[in-house]
Formats: sequence, C-alpha cells, structure tokens
Amino acid sequence: MSKTMKKRLVIIGSGPAGLSCALSALKNGIPKENILVLEREEELGGTLNLCIHAGFGKDNKTGTELATELADKVRNAGITCMTSTTVLSIDKRKIITLISPELGYTKITAEAIVLATGCRERSRGGLSIGGTRPAGILSAGTAQRFINLEGYMPGAKTVVVGTTDLALVIARRITLEGGQVVFVCDSKKKPQSERVKVGECLDYFNIPLKLHTTITRIFGKDRIEGVEIAELDKKGRPIKETKERVECDSLVYSCGFIPENELANSLGIEMRQSTHGPRTTRKMETSIDGIFSCGNSRMIHEDVDDIILDGKKAGKFVAEHLKSLKEDKKKKKEKKQ
Amino acid sequence: MSKKVYDVAIIGAGIVGTMTAFYLSKYNVNAVVLEAGIDIASGTTRANSAVIHAGYDAPEGSLKAKLNVKGAKMVGPIAKQLGVHYKKCGSLVLGYNKKDLNQLKILLVRGKKNGVRGLEILTQSQLRKMEPNVSRDAKYALYAPSAGIVCPYDLAYALGENSCTNGVDYIFEYKVDKIEKNQRNYLLYSNNRVVKAKYVVNAAGLYSDEIAEMLGDPLPFKIIPRRGEYLLLDKCEGKVVTHTLFVTPSEKGKGILVSPTVDGNVLVGPNANVVESKADTGVTVEGVREISEGARGIVPSINLNTVITTFAGVRSTPTSGDFYIQESKKFPRFVHAAGIESPGLASSPAIGEYIIKILDRAGLKMEEKEDYIPTRTKDGNCKLFMDMTESEKRNAVRKDPHYAKIVCRCEMVTEGDIINAIKRPIPAHTIDMVKRRTRAGMGRCQGGYCRAKVAEIIARELNIKISDVKKFTSNSNVIGGRTK
Repeated sequence: MSKTMKKRLVIIGSGPAGLSCALSALKNGIPKENILVLEREEELGGTLNLCIHAGFGKDNKTGTELATELADKVRNAGITCMTSTTVLSIDKRKIITLISPELGYTKITAEAIVLATGCRERSRGGLSIGGTRPAGILSAGTAQRFINLEGYMPGAKTVVVGTTDLALVIARRITLEGGQVVFVCDSKKKPQSERVKVGECLDYFNIPLKLHTTITRIFGKDRIEGVEIAELDKKGRPIKETKERVECDSLVYSCGFIPENELANSLGIEMRQSTHGPRTTRKMETSIDGIFSCGNSRMIHEDVDDIILDGKKAGKFVAEHLKSLKEDKKKKKEKKQ
Repeated sequence: MSKKVYDVAIIGAGIVGTMTAFYLSKYNVNAVVLEAGIDIASGTTRANSAVIHAGYDAPEGSLKAKLNVKGAKMVGPIAKQLGVHYKKCGSLVLGYNKKDLNQLKILLVRGKKNGVRGLEILTQSQLRKMEPNVSRDAKYALYAPSAGIVCPYDLAYALGENSCTNGVDYIFEYKVDKIEKNQRNYLLYSNNRVVKAKYVVNAAGLYSDEIAEMLGDPLPFKIIPRRGEYLLLDKCEGKVVTHTLFVTPSEKGKGILVSPTVDGNVLVGPNANVVESKADTGVTVEGVREISEGARGIVPSINLNTVITTFAGVRSTPTSGDFYIQESKKFPRFVHAAGIESPGLASSPAIGEYIIKILDRAGLKMEEKEDYIPTRTKDGNCKLFMDMTESEKRNAVRKDPHYAKIVCRCEMVTEGDIINAIKRPIPAHTIDMVKRRTRAGMGRCQGGYCRAKVAEIIARELNIKISDVKKFTSNSNVIGGRTK
C-alpha cells in the first residue's frame, strides 16, 4: 500500500555541506541516479540563501551567489534534488519517512545516509533578561529573513545583542536599509566573531559597540519600548551604578549557533557533548553503520569553505562505504554459488 | 446587536469562564463570553504550573477541597472528549527532615479526609526508584497517584471551541467598564458598547473584585496579585523527572516544583511575589535565580542550560483563602466566581458544574440540547499533524498538501495546522494565537526559524500586510515598516 522508493545514497540538507557532499559522491563513482538530496525549504542552498552580503568563498561572493553556484552544479550534474521536503523520521534500517506536497507521505529506503542538516540559532532562553516579553524582539535569523527576503524592517531604532558574525552583519544591514542601530552589545570582553571584522560592519557605519555590557531589563507591554543596560563587574555581575535606560523599538539578538540534530538524536546516534554534534569516525561515520554527518550539523564551522570541505570529505567516504557494501554483496553471492 | 438579550453573559474567558460556557452549551441557553483580552486564556490561565493537584492541600471542609478532589477526577474524561493532552503522572511532595515528615503526615490525613485516593508516604528507596534523579537529601515523599498534568490554555481553547461550536458567542477585547441593571436585565458596557443578559457570571479572575465593585456588590475579601515566575526546559531534558515534584509546603505556599509537561518539556517554578500591578507578567533576574536554586534543591543534576524560555503569570490570591462562588445576595442572577487561585485548574470542571447549579437554582431555564456536538468542531477535534497516527498523517497530506509543509521544525508543525488554527471556531489571527494553538514557535529555537513564516501565512490567509501582523495585542506589530 505504501509507496517505498529506493536510493543508494540520501543526503539530508542542501546547504553547502549537503551539496558539496553530493558532488563529491558523484565524483567518487556513485552514479547520479543513485543519489538523492532532500531539502525542506523551497530553494536549494540552506542558510546561504539568507546571506545577501559578500564574503563567501574564495572570490568573496555573496551567500546567495554561492548557493546558486553550488545548486546549479548539482542540478547540471543530473542529481535529483527534492525541495519542500521534510524528513519526519529515520529508522535504524535506514528507512526515511518524509512529507512533501509533491509526493505526500512517503518512505524511502537508503543504503547510506548523510546528515547535513546544518545548525540553528540558539534561543534567547539562556539570556536571562528581566522584564516583559513584548513584540519586536527577534532573533538575528528572523530579522535577516524579514529584511532580506520580505523587505521589512524589525523597527526604526534597533538594539543588537551579541557579536557573532550574524549579529554584526545584521547590524550593518539594518543601517544600510535605513534603520538606526542604537548600539551592539555583548557581555563578553571581546567580540565573538573572528571572521567578520568589527571595523567593516560597525566602525565604518558609526555603530557603537558596548562590550562587557548586558541587557538587564526589557520595557514595554505591547511592543518593546526600551531596554536597561548595565556594565559588568569582574565577576560578570551588572554594576548598579552603570544601569541606564535606552529607548528602542526593536531588539535583535544573536546567541550563537547550535548543530541541528533532531534526526540524529531520534536515531540514538552517539553525540559529542563538546560540539553538540554526532561523534564521528575519521571517515565521518556516526555510531550507526552507514549514517554519516558533515557540515554544521556535525560541528559549528566558522567559515563556509570549511563546511564545503567537510561535505566533500563526507562525499568521498560515503562513496567508499557504498562501494565496499557492493563488493561485500558480490562476495556473498560468489560464496553462495 | 444591542437589542439582543442573552440568557447568560460570562465575564472572562479563562479556565473558569470557558468551563462554564462548556457546560452551559449543553443546554438550549443563549450565552456569550466577554473577554477583555484578545484571546481565550489571556490571564492567569495562560501561565501557571499546569498541574492537576490531587486535593490534599486544601483544608478539610473548604470549598477548595471539595471542588479540587471532584474536579481532578473530571479533567481526564473532558480531555479525552476534546482531544486535549492530559497525563495522570502522579505527584510527589518531598520531605527533607523530620519536621517535613510531620507535615507530610498532616497532608496525608487531610487528603484522606478530603477524599483523595491512593495517598501514601514513601521511604527514600521507594522514592529513588520512582525518581532516580531526585536529591539525595530528600528522605520521604507523599505520593499522590491521582495528580496529573494538562496544558491549561489548550484545555481552555478546547472548551472555548467546543462551546462556540455549540452556539456560545465570544466577544474579545471587551473589557467590561460599567454595569447597570434594569428591571429584567444586566447591562454590561465596554467603551460605549453594551451587552444585555438576564444572568451574569463574574469569572474575571484577577479582575473579579473590580467587576463586583462595578456591580455595587464588593467582594467580602481582597484579591492580591501574586506573580509566579517559571523556566521552561528543552525536551532533551524532558526525562529528568516523570512525576510532578514539590517540596513540603510552607506558609508561603506550595513552593517551587519541577514537573514534566504534557508536551515533553520540563517546567520549573514558581516563586510567589506580591506585585503592584495585576498585569505585571515581567520576569526578574533575581526570580530566575531563586527558582533555579529551588530546582537544584529538588533535582541537583538538572541541566538549566537547557532553558528555552522564561515567563511569569499572576495569580489571584484571595485574602479569605478559599474560592468564593455564589450568587450575589444584593443582585439576583449575578454569580461571582472569585478568588480562584491554585488549585483552580484542577477544580475547574467542578467549578463549572457548581456555577451551572447556581444558575439553575436562580431560575435559568435549562433544557438539554438534542443536537449537542461533543467535539471542538463539527468535524472533530482538530488534531495536530504531530499527534496524528501514521495513516492519519498519510490521509491529511493526501487531502491537503499544506500538511506536507513543515513550518516549525522544532515542534514539527505543518502549514496545514496553522491554516486550520486561523480558520477554527475561535480563529487565531496573531503570532501568539497561532503559537498557543499549534505549538509553532514553542520549541527549542522559540520561533527563531518559523516566526517570519508564520507571519507570512497569517498575512496571506487574512489578506493583510505582513507589517500588520501582531504578536498578541492590537499594538504589538511583529515588525516595523518596509526597507528603503
């Protein structure tokens, strides 16, 4: 009754890791018709599609350019990619249950699976800020989606919390789009971002940076009306005398990223505490035979080039794995005969 | 509309108001619920401990004791009828020393007198078998197997939707500001609008004292707003406890608890602080610290780095210490249901029934409906995709491709679920209304991924601009204007 498709290799996620993995598997001898890439968004490319700023890859491309380039390569190579397709579950026999408007509720049996599910923003739950929870508080990723894809601003006067790459880039974007960034702050003493320069994102646009400073309270009942900020003492506690109320109508926070591993967790794959990603062998295989992990879902990478490299490696190893499976089968057959 | 006279007007769409509407809608009675907020469960019902208390806390002979024990037994069948998640997980009150043990024994005796079944005091080894992560300092525990957990606003939505499907009207953003009485009816004003009704139920929760004063019949006690702050933990920490764990209660109240939730998270809290404003649902850094310490005292290994959100609710604590549910002595056919604090949620079915009996005695004509619909909508209970069985999922996707599109990846909420919430009997038209009905944005990323998508869907379905989509109130636009 249920439709069950078969594919030798299924790659979950079409960000830079998933796409480069697909290309590398092809290059390492897996025929194109045996490879399937699944993507839950409407477009291939993953988070790159939100990054309309330059600074990706060797030629300093924008994220969207890089996404398009990778996606075109994969499509032109004849690899099947299914978009708007979400994997609901995977079982240990590598049967993937997925839904898509096109195929409905479907199961696919794979011989090998690569988890390239990327990462997500950390929620602000950990940022224990006092006060109310009005509208106008957005994660940097949400703000990026609203501004870059929908063409809407978070507000007219924005406070940015955090100094990740994304926080700095979004502060610059808001300024470029005609908004005012009141300041960027972080409770750390140094900016968290290593790759993106504070100079090119903040200084150049006269956006103040307040380090070792935290938001202690949020004001406003319906929409945010302001925040209370305070400098921190040596032990990281807010200094009362430095408390100050600052008016704003929106707050964008970026608390860093965490690998997305719902599927790996539900499979019972062994995880590494330090990276929040699956424990992988030298050949990027997880604790379950034939299930591989790469890119930001394996561990957070600073640079997209490293992610692409991770995907490439995974593609090579998974191709080797599939070849050895085939040889094993052959040998078994020969033995029987 | 002003010519219409309702048989019954219920002020307040919290758990008491919706429960009353639920029972009332089984009869041929013309009823309306007037709610000051934008949605059902806008006050205390939205943010509380979500516990169905067994009934050993309330003093013997009190109305609280009677309604709690009775109500707790009724929650399960109602939840089943309306497709609400409810789990009889049992509760444990922990004792750390001999003094606590004496207190537990008092609770045991009291509980038995109140009619709570199955209560027993456990030894440390029995306790540790049931809850291996509990503090080693906990030496005793009072076990109440009949205690449970439910999602309070989900229950209120279900009651609201079912009563709405059965003909009860709901009017939102209707804050009653003046009450008059003519010979036959009560006139309930809000901003120059008026609703007329023969019978009125004051289920205004924190504001029930103000309603009583408007009527000219002040309550014989004061209502003190007491704020409780909470932490919600990620589902990955969801198995750290399997029962609702309390510490031995003190004069200050039941104290901090650590409890599983029906959705698989862990809830920690509340503290109890008297606040000036009834609307003060702000969270304080000190409060978060206080409940974190409390939680570590119960489960030392609890991983508080997994907190996904913090929130606070305000409860309406009566200085009298008991529920006050009776017809006004001065104004016939006007029923007060005030001072409903914990265990109000557990008691709510019994409170609803109790109010119906008062209305009946006061002369309300009540004949049972022949065409009563037992579910939330005519078509059933609006099951969410993630709650469906495999064949239900398959069918849902086949019938409506929107069910094949996941919008909230943390809670696996589909576009079909969201469109359904926007079109349900009491329709969702804000981000938070969608969130509470579908759980979109309630997972570990707290809407970081799906908020923009939910806003797009609301804008599209309601044919409004995305910049006009609100978070919860009429002034809470999610985003600002267009980019340049």
